Amino acid sequence: MANTLLSLNEATRTVNSGNNKVTLLDNINLQVKEGEFISLMGPSGSGKSTLLNCIGMLDGFTGGGYTFLGEPVHSMKEKNRSKLYKEYIGFVFQAYHLIDELTVWENIETPLLYKNVKSSERKGLVADMLDRFNIVGKKDLFPVQLSGGQQQLVGIARALIGKPKLILADEPTGNLNSKQSTEIMELFSQLNKEGVTIIQATHSERNASYGSRIINLLDGKIVSE
Amino acid sequence: MLKNYFKIAFRNLLKNKIYSFINIAGLAIGMAATILIGLWIYDELNYDSYFKEKDTIAQMFQHESSNNVIGTGPAIPRPLEFAMREEFADNFEHIIMSSWNYSRYIGYGDKNINVTGNFMQEGAVDMLEINVLEGDKNSLEHSNVIMLSKEIATTLFGSENALGKMVKINNEHTVKVTAVYEDLPENNSFNGLKYLMPWKFYVATQEWVKNSKDSWGNNSFQMFAQIKDNTTMETVSSKILDIKKRNAPEEAEFNPEIFLFPMKDWYLRGDWENGVQTGGRIENVWLFGIIGTFILLLACINFINLSTARSEKRATEVGIRKSIGSQRGQLIFQFLTESFLIVCLAFAFAVGIVILSLNGFNNLASKTIEFPWASGLFWILAIVFIFITAVLAGSYPALYLSSFNPVSVLKGTFRAGRYSALPRKILVVTQFTISVALIIATLVVMNQIQHSKDRPAGYDKEGLVQIPVMSSEFTGKQDLMREQFIASGGATYMTTTSSPTTSVWSNRGGYTWEGKPEGFQENFAHTTVHYDFVETLGLKLIKGRGFSRKFATDSNAVILNKTAVKYMQIQDPVGKYISAENPDSDMIPLKIIGVVDDMIVQSPYTPVKQAMYVFESYGNISYYNLRLNPNNSVSKNLELIENTFKTNFPNIPFDYQFVDEEYGQKFRSEERVASLARVFTALAIFISCLGLFGLASFVAEQRTKEIGVRKVLGASISQLWILLSKDFITLVVLALVIASPIAYYVMSGWLQKFPYRTSVGWDVFAIACIGALIITLITVSFQAIRAATANPVKSLRTE
Ligand SMILES: Nc1ncnc2c1ncn2[C@@H]1O[C@H](COP(=O)(O)OP(=O)(O)O)[C@@H](O)[C@H]1O
Ligand SMILES: [Mg+2]
Repeated sequence: MANTLLSLNEATRTVNSGNNKVTLLDNINLQVKEGEFISLMGPSGSGKSTLLNCIGMLDGFTGGGYTFLGEPVHSMKEKNRSKLYKEYIGFVFQAYHLIDELTVWENIETPLLYKNVKSSERKGLVADMLDRFNIVGKKDLFPVQLSGGQQQLVGIARALIGKPKLILADEPTGNLNSKQSTEIMELFSQLNKEGVTIIQATHSERNASYGSRIINLLDGKIVSE
Repeated sequence: MLKNYFKIAFRNLLKNKIYSFINIAGLAIGMAATILIGLWIYDELNYDSYFKEKDTIAQMFQHESSNNVIGTGPAIPRPLEFAMREEFADNFEHIIMSSWNYSRYIGYGDKNINVTGNFMQEGAVDMLEINVLEGDKNSLEHSNVIMLSKEIATTLFGSENALGKMVKINNEHTVKVTAVYEDLPENNSFNGLKYLMPWKFYVATQEWVKNSKDSWGNNSFQMFAQIKDNTTMETVSSKILDIKKRNAPEEAEFNPEIFLFPMKDWYLRGDWENGVQTGGRIENVWLFGIIGTFILLLACINFINLSTARSEKRATEVGIRKSIGSQRGQLIFQFLTESFLIVCLAFAFAVGIVILSLNGFNNLASKTIEFPWASGLFWILAIVFIFITAVLAGSYPALYLSSFNPVSVLKGTFRAGRYSALPRKILVVTQFTISVALIIATLVVMNQIQHSKDRPAGYDKEGLVQIPVMSSEFTGKQDLMREQFIASGGATYMTTTSSPTTSVWSNRGGYTWEGKPEGFQENFAHTTVHYDFVETLGLKLIKGRGFSRKFATDSNAVILNKTAVKYMQIQDPVGKYISAENPDSDMIPLKIIGVVDDMIVQSPYTPVKQAMYVFESYGNISYYNLRLNPNNSVSKNLELIENTFKTNFPNIPFDYQFVDEEYGQKFRSEERVASLARVFTALAIFISCLGLFGLASFVAEQRTKEIGVRKVLGASISQLWILLSKDFITLVVLALVIASPIAYYVMSGWLQKFPYRTSVGWDVFAIACIGALIITLITVSFQAIRAATANPVKSLRTE
């Protein structure tokens, strides 16, 4: 029986847009166990990204409870929250979001800097990661010199470098062709087999099928599992 | 981590070259200006720091009042010395009588050079810690000796040993060189002390000095003092305050008060007004301190504006870093590191600029400042300065950039909010307010100088030459010389005067006249002059006539200036007499034979003082004044005059001054302030424009797509130009509106210190406003026109 990684209990997010209150996420109840591979599906605007961002603690729920590894995130101070996600969560974005001014090596290294990992150790970790993703030859290139697929590989490498328990991927293949997409999804399933929990948002049925569980969102509500 | 930050910063700098250039160049120029001003202020504040005992050295000053106006100055009478030594000796380490800083001829072999120096009592060397390089430190105890500065010794004797050499003073006395001392640096009150001779010698050789032993009314000397360590200037001043009144009851009507004027105030706080110390050069120190701060502020504003304007470019990075674990504090630190790096680079360039411009700056400010490579203090201050600048420039951008929400930034929908440009606009307005205020202030200063230069001098300064003739060899030669000069054709008129045309060396009272008001305490600028005084100087006679050989009685005649007539409240002055107030005096009453228009002798900023020009009959002649022959060139005239001079005085170097140049000296210090202000104002404008240029290019870039669309829809280039420029013009107009009243208020206040002053006219504002608008238009139009003429298809395709 796997441990519960996180659970959402009637989690809600509302924002004020002008005079009206807009509900972006509506009473979400969700349990995620370690080792799961979840695909969030739903039409554009249904709240997938919002949910991922809130789970990733970049945004906050405005109501309900959010527990991560037994800790109540909703009542946590900013500082502790940041410590938590720095330690356990890695992000992968549709638009890769690499830092343009840094090389491949430096991009992958950056999260370690924020975790105060020692220089010698950093070198080893980054080198291993480059090895594993077969991009050693590209380590001194800047993002603009890479293809989209390669950039996303670097993005994933960067998300993985801190050995997170959870990877949040927001349409990770949205900007890629089908061959590159397949590579990335294969990689995800490989990672999942190694024990990393993954939640991805996707439009594609094919991509969703890599997951162990599919959740459908509509207008900020979970409509089916 | 730091390395990572530096890397990012460097790569950003290289990637955005124009932006980096504007930032670094602006900061470097701003910092260079601030460093130069800082060095200048340091030099000003350390004037007289050569003297280790600066804090205990003072000069005796005297307040004296006449007609309820208190005058303050360093001139004191000789008997003060004896009273001071008798009554208060135990308060002082040294009491030192001194002559004024006069120039004399020092001759050796066939060299005869003009050198300034003082006669001082022994103890001067000790008090001023004059560094005697060779010879006798106690030379001033002797009589027929001279101490020379290294410079003068080298000029006279070359590599020969100076000690023991006999030199001639003013071709009159022979004295022995007994010591050579280290040259005094420029920035001290004794920088004219190139020779030192014993006070004893002065008393022994100058009849009038010898005779002034008991004359409490003869304020013709200086006295310096060093107080004991166990007392203070204030204490001693309060003790000696009434020393003159007690010892010389006959002077009591002028309420003379003696006090110590501390050396640390000499240079910076030397202005007195009606007995109150009112400041002095310290005001310029403040003025330039403020200007320096402003210029640095302008450069920092550029940095702030360009960083925040470019924030959209940095926003993604902020979002990514936050999403991979960066806290806000770390981002703030990163951006501060970046500004620190840029400021360091700018500082390096600034040091380069300072080194390259130091020479020119020294000329402009008439200073001898050197770059303080070896000064620990300088480098410590430099580090503090870099930190302050980095924080000043970097804080706001750091706080602003680090505040972005990662979700909205990364979603790509991030647009700096509607009001995000507001702080930027406020800062641009601030910049231009400062620049425009500086323009107005500089114009007012220049106007004031021009206004005073245009003030009628009351005589014809051009073509007038004065020759100093104070040594005894000239005695009695004036008539002969006049004939010869005129005969030579080099001059048309000559007269002699007891003081130069451009200053007053003697002020006198103790007169009476018909209708003199009861209790009136008169004080006249007193100059003795000779025949042809009016003709030589080109004075305008208002009443009566000038001195004439046709009237034997003119040897006891006087000419007044217009102010004197008003001052004396005398009706129909011509023909009346001015006689001594003291009935026992043997002074022959002076007949008023004429009144001349006021002539500016002292400050061109103050009203002309009441003056009497008395016919010379005692041989008190300091200058020959010659009116050059208008039919010859100046050089031809000078050649003729020099030849005549040389034939008569073969051993005396021919020394002369153009009166108009001497007159021009009166504007020197204000002109110096004006030229410095001009340079710094130009820099301020340049820095502001640099920032505006950066912002304009940013806006043009940001609106590329909009411009493309408008163009496709049919907008003309001039319409687009107006569209892109009008925002900036609005800001500058706002700055003009704010700056004008502030500048008006401040500069009207500044003008108050000049009794003869210009007003702050509308033309100054017009010039400043039009100038600022033109400069702004040129600056922003470059980018606007470039954007407006770009091919719209291209710009639309990039989306
Ligand atoms: N800060 C916000 N304020 C108002 N509306 C928002 C905000 N963030 C997202 N939305 C809206 O919420 C809805 C869900 O957005 P999102 O989570 O990005 O959907 P998805 O990722 O499923 O396409 C959209 O309609 C979006 O416009
Ligand atoms: Mg989305």
